[in-house]
Amino acid sequence: MMRITCFMMSCVLAASLAFAQTSTIQPAPKTADGKPDLTGVYQASPRRGGWDAEAPGDEPGVAAPRSAANINTTASDPIPFTSEARALAQDILNRRSIDDPTTRCIFAASPRITGVGLFPVQFVQTPTQVIILYEYMWTHRVIPIATKHPEDISPSFMGDAVGHWEGNTFVADVVGFKPGGWLTGGLVTSDALHLTERYTRVDRDQLNYEVTIEDPKMLTKPFTQRTTLMLREGARLREYSCAENNMDPSVYEKMLKDPTSSQSFIRGK
Amino acid sequence: MRNPASRAAVAIALTGWLSAATLSAHHSFGVAFDATKTVMLTGVITKIAWTNPHTHVWVDVKDANGHVVNWTLEGYPPNVLERTGWKKDVTIKVGDTLTFFGWLARDGSPFAHLREATLADGKKLFFGPPAGTGEGPATVR
Repeated sequence: MMRITCFMMSCVLAASLAFAQTSTIQPAPKTADGKPDLTGVYQASPRRGGWDAEAPGDEPGVAAPRSAANINTTASDPIPFTSEARALAQDILNRRSIDDPTTRCIFAASPRITGVGLFPVQFVQTPTQVIILYEYMWTHRVIPIATKHPEDISPSFMGDAVGHWEGNTFVADVVGFKPGGWLTGGLVTSDALHLTERYTRVDRDQLNYEVTIEDPKMLTKPFTQRTTLMLREGARLREYSCAENNMDPSVYEKMLKDPTSSQSFIRGK
Repeated sequence: MRNPASRAAVAIALTGWLSAATLSAHHSFGVAFDATKTVMLTGVITKIAWTNPHTHVWVDVKDANGHVVNWTLEGYPPNVLERTGWKKDVTIKVGDTLTFFGWLARDGSPFAHLREATLADGKKLFFGPPAGTGEGPATVR
């Protein structure tokens, strides 16, 4: 009886330790120069632990809110569109997002590319750079630290980013956008877009992302979005070659104009 | 007894466009598929394209009159499938029986967004995301 009791106690102890190990929030790691180390593979998700494959409460055969599956944006404020930008957003909506540049495999700027929880994001940090690798669209950003934006910026879809540290937060200042990218909620980028991104690894598992979006051509005032990125140990970035088998966007246009006109939509024959 | 069509409609209404458009990966759901028209059929796999930005599976489905229709089914890219339990050339193969639940293409062709796949052994796996992006029309908030 004593041996059985001891065995049971050891099982309880082991289970308790296992629970403690999985439930303990560990501090954010530091680099040799004392900065928080952002290095790691993350997923936009509110859940700690392994890969978050589906929305909480999702079940087969039932459509779950896609927002829960793909992003953890907690922005509660409506986008402060100018009247012209609002009309553009309404047009996007009316056309069922058919003109989304990503449909043609064009890169999406952050916060969009950061928050697509289907795909991991990898941070690589050195004393002079933070490099962010995105599985989605198989692209990257190299963010130099403590430098100025170059004077010869060519407009680009993801913009030109320079970084600096504010305490434990890595701040990226992003300008130089090409007009016409889709950012968030029907907001289209202009050449006046300015992002201030703030990355804070609050503990070992959790990297908070906050972005303030300013664009006097599209917005009446700045607004902020927030997303949580969770460390996904064991996850790795896998190739996403968007153009490999991409649909010709013209078929979507045909469907929009005449939903029955595009029987050729059947692929692979 | 669940009712996928009505549950889908509720989910879409709750999600709203503002957040959904934020989330669209590659192309919106609504650009090609109709979230009000679900489909659930069983057939035999004739071809698999394990490709980006979408994986496609083709399935021969026999109707009540014995006519065979080859359906095209679209889902996640391979990297997403592999992280959620799928293995290329193992989980499904040409010749396997597959039951699929999803949403029909807007053009009425035998083309569908495949949400849930039921394999020959009864195992159920998600093959694509839920409906809910680019549904329009609605009003910008």
